[in-house]
Order: sequence, then structure tokens, then C-alpha cells
Amino acid sequence: MKDEYLWDGSGEPDPEVQKLENLLGRYRHDQPAQAPALSQLFDQLAAERPAQHRWSFSLSRLAFQLAAVAAVLLIGVATYLVIRARHASNSGPAWEIARIAGAPRVGWHSLSGNSETGQLKVGQTLVTDGSSRASITLDETGRVEIDPASRLRLVASGPNRKRLSLERGTIHATIWAPPGEFVVDTPSAVAVDLGCAYTLHVDDSGAGLLRTAMGWVGFKLNSRESFIPAGAVCATRPKTGPGTPYFEDAPEAFRDALAKFDFAAVTEEERSALVSVLMKYARREDALTLWHLLSRVSEADRATVYHRLNVLAPRPAEVTREGILRLDQKMLDSWWNSLGYGDVYLWHIYERTWSGDQPRSK
Amino acid sequence: MERRAVIAQPMTETCADDADDALVSAARAGDRSAFGLLYDRYARMVHGILLGRVPPREVDDLVQEVFLLALRKLDSLRDLSRFGAWLSTITRNRANDYYRNSSRVEQPMEPEEEEQAQSRSNDHVAEQEAAMTLAVLRTLAETYREPLMLRLVEGMTGPEIAARMGLTHGSVRVNLHRGMRMLREKLAEKAGPKTEDNTKTAKTSGQNA
Repeated sequence: MKDEYLWDGSGEPDPEVQKLENLLGRYRHDQPAQAPALSQLFDQLAAERPAQHRWSFSLSRLAFQLAAVAAVLLIGVATYLVIRARHASNSGPAWEIARIAGAPRVGWHSLSGNSETGQLKVGQTLVTDGSSRASITLDETGRVEIDPASRLRLVASGPNRKRLSLERGTIHATIWAPPGEFVVDTPSAVAVDLGCAYTLHVDDSGAGLLRTAMGWVGFKLNSRESFIPAGAVCATRPKTGPGTPYFEDAPEAFRDALAKFDFAAVTEEERSALVSVLMKYARREDALTLWHLLSRVSEADRATVYHRLNVLAPRPAEVTREGILRLDQKMLDSWWNSLGYGDVYLWHIYERTWSGDQPRSK
Repeated sequence: MERRAVIAQPMTETCADDADDALVSAARAGDRSAFGLLYDRYARMVHGILLGRVPPREVDDLVQEVFLLALRKLDSLRDLSRFGAWLSTITRNRANDYYRNSSRVEQPMEPEEEEQAQSRSNDHVAEQEAAMTLAVLRTLAETYREPLMLRLVEGMTGPEIAARMGLTHGSVRVNLHRGMRMLREKLAEKAGPKTEDNTKTAKTSGQNA
């Protein structure tokens, strides 16, 4: 039984499990306990405990005063660090550029030789003309291929924050950095890698299209968020932000109705009619789209979407109809996780990591 | 014989729990070697949980921090037999705190780390393949991610994982099995046919993943 090998290493070895063990074994824990640190803490704890019983009122008062002074100092230091950190985010390692075709350029410098490479530093823009292509790579982050007629700027390259800005054109990103660390601004939304490969296109009007090949990607403008798993696409428009993600093999009537629902100037009645069309043509796979619609339709239509989604992908036990109708975030998260596209905690990591940085939009 | 075998398995677990009880009690009383033994017993679990949540370069430091934190809070542990589950919670909380700590996020790379990064690049292809596989593994839900991290990365067996994390054999077994199936599917997605645009990216970057 190969399952026995996965369970306790006994039985017939599963070659795939063995391969993964060999591959991932490099990350295995091999650090012994730092004995001095543990001993020091033991000594410190031992010293603290008896002292607690001897504290008098005056000592408590002194401690309070010291704590107040420490708090003031702490706030000052924290403010300084935040300001410094903001400045520091503008620096970081450069990405290695490799020419694939034509003569991509950075500033006045163009790469035209067969083996010519260069660097893309923070603040610089890589430009490809109609016949040029290039790639940029950062060892611990990933690789981005840039198609012809594109402009890509490196905004930040800090240890846990890699930010690019695609002003125009198409990129293909393959990212191996932890989820939430790699972000691409576009004129109408911010794409957040949640692992691992996607294509992003921006046209001259600033509208965009994101297609995920593997893992999933978050797409955000202000409070409007879309999650795009492998095989799905999502359009975005300036001022509106990301539309509702969908699978490209969805029925044509479904895709047409969704495009109008997201971006056309329609009345409330027309939007309700479009929701009816979406419910009619939705398949099991389109639970992805319906989950997003829960928070985008009117209150009157929400119950309809809830019922259809519940048929296609039954809600987990902890989710209730009432909770969904009032858009309880925990219940929405729980239902999303049950769809199996990715754990929403990864998105919250992004939100915490980048909470001070607002998306840029026209 | 069959009946004895059925009874023997939980007894083994109970013995392990008893040993934890004794070690935790001794560590509370200030026995450094007891805490050292707890470290030896649980370090891989803590490491695996952290690796599923924070950048790999930060994990070793955070393992030490988690144990120091646990030592400070040891008096607050009411049920000594739940040490593993308690430590798991501390570990997850510490990983969450990591992302709230903006100063850590902005720390520049130290020269030593740069040298390590340089030496790692010698093993560039394998490193990227491993990083990509780890990234895929990290996209799984926590329920499946953690046992798979402990099994595939830390080399723990299913029974060990259950004993350390305070879970039943049945739940760990099911989660390992389901998690492995999901991981296979996600890795196959990457290796399988793609749209024209993405194929060229995958060919150049993830060919060995």
C-alpha cells in the first residue's frame, strides 16, 4: 500500500512522495537549541519571580513611571522606524534583465547583443517596442517575462515586498516568493500573487485582464477584491476596478451577462435581469463567480445568488443563510475556503503586509 | 493477539503524553534539561508550521523565539498533556505577529545573508524547483498544509504528527491523504497543458518543478 508509505514510511515507497521528500528536505529543521539563550532566559525568569513578591507600592509607582517613559520613547523610536522604513522601501536588490528578442531598453540604455544582460533598479522602467521581449529575474522571488510594446517599472524591492508597475503591455509572471510578497500595480487594479503563475495585460486605456495559470491571484482596487484561481480570468477597468472572475469555458450567455453586469451602464432592473441570466447558466465550476457576486448584487438579489450557490457548492456547516445575507466576513471566508481554490488567510497576509500602501489607480 | 495490538497503539501515545507531562512539569520548575528535551521533541513541528506561513529565511530565528515565548508562558498552560497543541497555537500566533511587525519587514539583507544567497545560486535550478514546490504546498488550506509540511519537509511520520499536535491518528491520516491528492493536482496543473502565453513562461522558469 503506497498510502502506508505516506502515513509512516513503511510499505512500498511512493516515488512521488520520495521525490517530494528529497526536494523539500532542504528546508528541514536542523538548528539545535541555542543553549545560551535558553539559559539566559531561565536565569532571567528565576530572578523575576521572587522579586515580584517583594514589590512595594513605591516600587510599583516607580515601575509605572518608568513604563510611561519607556512608552514615550517607544512611540518615538517606532515613528522614526516607520519613517525610515518608508524611505527604505524605495531601495533593494535590482532584478536581472535578460534580452529575449529585439532591443528592450532601460532609460537610454538598450540591450541588443545576443547575450547582453542588465539590471532593473528601483525607480527604473523597462520598455519593449513592437518587436522586443525581455525577462527579469530575482532569485528569491521569481521571473517575469515582458512581451512587446510594454512598459514595466520597478517600484519597490524590499526583503518582503516586491512591487512592479505595469503601465502598458503584457507580462507573464512565475513567482516562487511566499504568497502576498509580489505585487503588480496596473492603472485600474493591483495584482497580488498568492502563488504562482499568471499573465497580466494592460491596454492603452488602462483596462486590464488577468489570467491565472497556477495557484491564485488577488486583484484589488480600494475595497473591491477579486480572487482568480488557476484557469480563471478577470477583467479590470479604470475607476471601476476588478470585475467578477470567471472560467473561460463558461457558457457564452453567462460570460456576456457577466461583462454587462460588471462594466456596462445599466439600471437596477437591468442588473437584476442579468443576475437571473447568470443564475440560469451557472455550472458547478461557476461557484467561483457566484461567490463573488454575493457581495456585488443588490440585497434583493443576494438571496437568489445564495440559493443557487448553495445548490452548486453547498455551504459549510458553520455558514448560515442569515450570515451570508448580511455579508458576514468570516462566513464568506469560510465558504470561499470550502471551494478549494486557496486559503483566504494568504490574502489577509497581503493585507497586513501592505496595509500602509494604497493601490494606485487613475 | 489482535486485541493486544489494538490496545497497544493508544498506550504508546499515552506513554508519550505522560513523558510530556513530566517534562513540562520539570521545565516549569526550572529544569533546563527538561526544556531542552521538549525543544528536541517539538522543534520540527514548530519549524514546519512556521515554514507554511513565513518566508523560509525567517523560520530558524522564529523557532527560537517561539520556544522562548513558550518558556515565558509555560505557567499559563493548564492541561499539561496538551503541550503540543498549545505550542502549535503559540507558533501560529507568532507567525501572524510576524506580518504585523513592520520593522522586520523592512530590515535590509545582512551581508552574511547575501553570501548565503550567492552560494545558494550555485544550486540554482534545484533551489528554484524546491521553492516552487514549497510555494504550491503553501497554497493548500492549513488543515492539509501543516501535516504535509511535517511529513514531506520535516520527515515526521503520521503517528508522530498526531502525537505532537494532539490530533487523532484518523484525522491526520485523512488530511495527509487528501492533502497529498490536492498537492498532486496542483503540481500537475503546473506541469500540464497551459495556454500559449503561459507555456513559454513555465518552460523557461519552472521546467524542473
